[in-house]
Amino acid sequence: MKILACYKWTMDEQDIKINSENQSLDTSRAKYKISEYDKNAIEEATLLMESAGANTDVLTFGGAAVKQSFKDVLSRGPEQAFYIADEAADSADAFVTANVLAAVIRKNGPYDLVICGEGSSDVYNQQVAPRLGSLLGLPTVTYVQKLELQGNRVVATRKMADCTEVATVEGPAVISVLPEINKPRIPSLKQVLGAAKKPATEIKIADLGLSAAQLTPKTTRKALKGFVMNRKNVVYKETDQAVNVAKLVASLAAEGLA
Amino acid sequence: MPGIFIYSEDSAIARQLVTAGLSLKAAVNQPVVVISLTSADTAGFIAAGADKVFDLHGENVWPEGYATAIGDIIAAENASVVLVGATARGKDVAAKVAATLQAGMVTEAQSVAFVDGQLETTRMMYGGLALCTEAVTLPALVTVAARTFEEPAPSAGTGEVVSYQAAVDARVSISNVCPIERQGVDISAAERIVCVGRGLAKKEDMALAEALAGGLKAEVACSRGIAEDYHWLPVERYIGISGQKVKPELYFSLGVSGQVQHVAGIRDSRIIVAVDSNEKAPIFQAADYGIVGDLYEIVPLLTAALSK
Repeated sequence: MKILACYKWTMDEQDIKINSENQSLDTSRAKYKISEYDKNAIEEATLLMESAGANTDVLTFGGAAVKQSFKDVLSRGPEQAFYIADEAADSADAFVTANVLAAVIRKNGPYDLVICGEGSSDVYNQQVAPRLGSLLGLPTVTYVQKLELQGNRVVATRKMADCTEVATVEGPAVISVLPEINKPRIPSLKQVLGAAKKPATEIKIADLGLSAAQLTPKTTRKALKGFVMNRKNVVYKETDQAVNVAKLVASLAAEGLA
Repeated sequence: MPGIFIYSEDSAIARQLVTAGLSLKAAVNQPVVVISLTSADTAGFIAAGADKVFDLHGENVWPEGYATAIGDIIAAENASVVLVGATARGKDVAAKVAATLQAGMVTEAQSVAFVDGQLETTRMMYGGLALCTEAVTLPALVTVAARTFEEPAPSAGTGEVVSYQAAVDARVSISNVCPIERQGVDISAAERIVCVGRGLAKKEDMALAEALAGGLKAEVACSRGIAEDYHWLPVERYIGISGQKVKPELYFSLGVSGQVQHVAGIRDSRIIVAVDSNEKAPIFQAADYGIVGDLYEIVPLLTAALSK
């Protein structure tokens, strides 16, 4: 049994600052991280590896920065990483990303299960898992909060806005997971050290047999502006909290709220 | 002939999307076509202004099973723009169709319009930190959340209804469908909200927030970690870009640091108040009024003052 978890190495949005003059984004101090929901995908693949004895790989498509990601990713359990580090990732949309990932999966596979997070924490398109399913011709179950393997059968509990439902498919299948499916582990020092010994293999985009059209994004960014909230920003910070409370209550009364 | 296509398994959202479809029609003079899963609602789409409705019939066990049929119709009819309701099911179907057609897709667009002959959309990025304007090559799929548009006033429409038999996707079986029981009120509609974050030390301290909420006649909500990691409140009570988006008259946070994903869920509040011990917490940037200090000292004083 072979399982693949896909992940994105994204800028940590908490580190992005908005330039107050022109609302442009300052990403110069942003550190990278595993996209939040992809941690759940990696954890779920690892849990299945531990319980079902599967082999678990991870796969990412990104710029040169992805090479910094392996220690964190592999310390979480997976046995080996495959990566495409190409500047095409800078302008890639979900169309291009899914084409690239599907091509790698065809080349490296077959996998019995491909697991993705529900969406990436930067752009949150939520497209890659269902696109992969279509491109690979595999049944796809998205927004999964509980996953169970019964031999070749995949039993996935999905969460929709108004109900939960259990979708059962015969594998191989593509799954996207919700954050509530598990709690990603915090790797131990031993696991972090062990990760350095696990292989990370580069795959060149040119070797994937994709056409220029398949690598040309369908969406092009025309503008990206920070969202600026205009708030009163009145902060009471006297040492005597009774004074602060009285001031706040007066402010709320002035707003018609107390 | 090219057309502007609309699909949602939720007919109310599909009618709202007719409004967006009609504005695109005004720009490019293409008919508005609705793909419907509910025969009883086809007349409503015509009354909303659709020029044509495909009335899908089939034995699929879930709406997602119609992705192939929807893709076939869109390809055969040469659709230019496909607007899809951004429910979980809708986003799933739209992305599958987009992949099959090798088309671009924009998720949860806040606006969609033709600008200089190009389709342009706006959407949130980085957890709500930024607004991104994108140009999309046609044909394009665009998902749009419920209530982004208001449905058109019904009129005596003249559109036609066409019956379409969809094949069955037998790869999936569905069982154990359980409606989610909502516990208490819908906080997205609450007028006043007291929101707790990780600044609260233990579950028993929720009583502090409940007492303040009592004084303010507010509902209690929380940040994501309180619901998903601590399980002190049900998940439908957490606020943020992936949770509830609220727009109360008063949003009052206790021990919420104010990460961008949380702030994206509260930005439509009229007045935002924050109490937190960390003066540098980003919540104060997002707040109208704030107190820096120990919430265990401040909240009882506040509750007493507001309950008078």
